[in-house]
Amino acid sequence: MPIGYYLVVAGLLFSIGSVGVLTRRNAIVLLMCVELMLNAVNLTLVAASRLWGAADGQVVAFFVIVVAAAEVVIGLALVVNLFWRRGTLDIDVASLLKG
Amino acid sequence: MLLLAQGPDASTAEVIGFWVFSVIALGGGIAMITFRNVVHGALMLVANFFAIAGLFLLLDSAFLGIIQIIIYAGAIMVLFLFVIMLLGVVRDDLLIERDRWLRAGAWTLGLLLVASVAVVFVGPYTADPSVCGSAGEVVPGSAEVRCAGLAEALRDTEQGSVGFAAERLFTRYTFAFEFVSLLLVVAIVGALLVGRRREPPMRPGGIPAAELSGGPLTDGVARGDGEATGPATPPHTHREGSTAAPRARGDGGG
Repeated sequence: MPIGYYLVVAGLLFSIGSVGVLTRRNAIVLLMCVELMLNAVNLTLVAASRLWGAADGQVVAFFVIVVAAAEVVIGLALVVNLFWRRGTLDIDVASLLKG
Repeated sequence: MLLLAQGPDASTAEVIGFWVFSVIALGGGIAMITFRNVVHGALMLVANFFAIAGLFLLLDSAFLGIIQIIIYAGAIMVLFLFVIMLLGVVRDDLLIERDRWLRAGAWTLGLLLVASVAVVFVGPYTADPSVCGSAGEVVPGSAEVRCAGLAEALRDTEQGSVGFAAERLFTRYTFAFEFVSLLLVVAIVGALLVGRRREPPMRPGGIPAAELSGGPLTDGVARGDGEATGPATPPHTHREGSTAAPRARGDGGG
């Protein structure tokens, strides 16, 4: 199967994730959309790994998974802290640094 | 069907699996960004992760498929669901009209992304067999160029997918691997610091709000001074007694 089909699916998943980031206001849904975008990139990397017959894409995808885990841990801690301080998950509320 | 006619080595199972898993993945993603219920959205994302794991399996990467299920669908999504249940924000009341221009811009940007993907990938990378570049080899007897793909590499190394990935992981990417472990430690410490509750809204002792809000810096300094002299002496002596007790027990044993 040509590699382009996997790339198209990955691009569509990335587009869905970016639209979700831009349209939703819930911070938890925002983090989930970021996870979706990271998974789309992982799919691209693994497809390239299959194409070139090398394990580098798989290794980089593994690193992406680990970094995504760390990002989720920090992000959810921030979300919980935001919810305790402001009482909402609306990301538009946290605009203290807005110029 | 166009895909079945791509080449003699394009197996039917991969084609069927690709369409099934990609439809599940795309549907899960769309459902995730449109559902109002956050828990339902998270479960749709779990379905999406399972489908992407299936795509990894189709791409001869069994190790990453299993890692995807264990870490993403197992650990990360459980963390998401745990936070959703902890905060009690199952129903998303924020799914209302944002700024109208921002929303229109978001959808325009999404459609632009889809269009650019279609232009860049669908034309050259789905039909052209020369997609594999320099790694391709011409199949004798026909004009088809076949890639030296991962299945051939796995067959050459006579290892599983785990050994194939781990060999590269622990040779070329050793420093990155170590730094990633350091990153995980930093993430744990950071989550403990950020997620800590500094000013709880209700204290069991009923401390007045003026003391809670009145100057945390001077309050901390005063409490630090007072611990050495004033009201902190009973726990201090108690701590000495508790440390003296094991020492005496150690003397008795020796």
